[in-house]
Amino acid sequence: MIDYFAIGLTHGLLALAAWRLLLRDDLDSDAGEGGTKPHKPWLKAHKRNADAGDA
Amino acid sequence: MLDAFLFAYVLGLLALGLRKPFVWVLAYLYIDIVAPQKIGWTLMPILPVSLIAFVAAFAGWLLVDSKQGSRFTFRQGLMVVLLAYCAMTASWAEFPKEAWEKWDWVWKALVFAIFLPLTLRTKLRLEAVVLAMVLSIAAIIISGGIKTATGGGGYGKLYLFVNDNTGLYESSTIACVAIAVIPLVLWLVRHGTVFPPDRRVRLFAGALIFAALLIPVGTEARTGLLCIGVLGVLLLRSVKYRFLFIAAAGFLALASIPFLPQSFTERMGTIQGHEEDESASTRVAVWQWTLDYVQDRPLGGGFDAYRANSFTYDKPVTQDLGGGVTRTEVEEVTDKERAYHSSYFEMLGEQGWPGLGLWLLLHGLGVLQMERLRRRYLKRAKDEMRSEDAWKAPLATALQQAQIVYLVGSLFVGIAFQPFILMLIGVQCGLWSYLNRVDSPAARQRPGAGGKPSVDKGVEGAPALR
Repeated sequence: MIDYFAIGLTHGLLALAAWRLLLRDDLDSDAGEGGTKPHKPWLKAHKRNADAGDA
Repeated sequence: MLDAFLFAYVLGLLALGLRKPFVWVLAYLYIDIVAPQKIGWTLMPILPVSLIAFVAAFAGWLLVDSKQGSRFTFRQGLMVVLLAYCAMTASWAEFPKEAWEKWDWVWKALVFAIFLPLTLRTKLRLEAVVLAMVLSIAAIIISGGIKTATGGGGYGKLYLFVNDNTGLYESSTIACVAIAVIPLVLWLVRHGTVFPPDRRVRLFAGALIFAALLIPVGTEARTGLLCIGVLGVLLLRSVKYRFLFIAAAGFLALASIPFLPQSFTERMGTIQGHEEDESASTRVAVWQWTLDYVQDRPLGGGFDAYRANSFTYDKPVTQDLGGGVTRTEVEEVTDKERAYHSSYFEMLGEQGWPGLGLWLLLHGLGVLQMERLRRRYLKRAKDEMRSEDAWKAPLATALQQAQIVYLVGSLFVGIAFQPFILMLIGVQCGLWSYLNRVDSPAARQRPGAGGKPSVDKGVEGAPALR
């Protein structure tokens, strides 16, 4: 019974913490740290190609 | 039922990582600390959850996560050297089978500690890791604390979730680590943003700290009592009202004595005289043996080298002859394969002088770096109080206090490679790197820094050596 209580309480809190973290933008980049989107050079290349195609 | 719950829980955590891969790092921390695969016995062993979480955490960082701000610190380099050195000593180990068995978990703990700081790029991530570590170990602490309070403790008798006496479930280890965690709990209560400080948070934290203080009572591990004393002294440095703290701690200590079980007070009484205590007297003999051992093998005997020891000593044994008559005789006792019961001698015997040197440097630098951060932000707060700096000095202090409690406790427990402590080192490296990147005096002088976190554009996409 004690084990169930300890596991239930702490696991519930950890799950709630993980859920709250998913909703926070500052998990992946600090507030005020502008332009810190993940570095994805392939997307830039794709966008450049698309822009060139439009022109 | 519990098995199915834990299985679903781990899968759920892994699923959340699909949205934000950093959650996989937290999932690995949880799995490594609580070891749900040991608690569940039917469903859990089907999947190698620890391996899955580790691979997911690493792959998530490598493939999806931004590397902006990731730095490779000097202490991570020290851990790489220590890892390589341990592999070398394992290759010439005196007991190869046992040595490779220990290597199996040591390398994972070291590799994760080397990897963890690379992911700690934001303040929230630092907090999330501290929170995940605290909540994970809280499962063991709360269970042990309630069992102790309801009379279920005793030396070697406190039954935690798993009864295999390894990792954090070993009584002296959990007694030391439970006390080391208290400064982190105190930091979360004051500076947490995932669970912002309110009455419920303070109530939970208070109960958790009380449960942590009960662990040394429940396990009757003398190391735990020593750790409580060390933490009390360390907290004197960081509490606001010192005299009030001393008075309250003294009152609590005195008030708790009548409630302590007799077996606990008797066992704690043996701290002073070790002659009649086999555990303590063989400990000293093992340490002397280790010093002799490294004279022949200064580079260390590899993991589990203590298995080579054997010594005979005299031990006074008192017999009750009945009618209040007792007789004390000196008996010759032979002991074999006695463990080190000290992380320092564990490092010396297994990894020799170079290994002990690396380990001491790793920890010594940690204490110094946290001290530097602490002083930097306390000094800055005197010059100019900024609300965004409020969490920094207290976190450095908490990490330093946790480490010092461990360093004193590990004088008498062989936990040199305890994964939880290696995670703590990882968080220290992460904090050191983060604050030096965004907020060092040099970073603040950079054009456009303006007190706000600055981004080092030159290293975008690749971790730099620092």
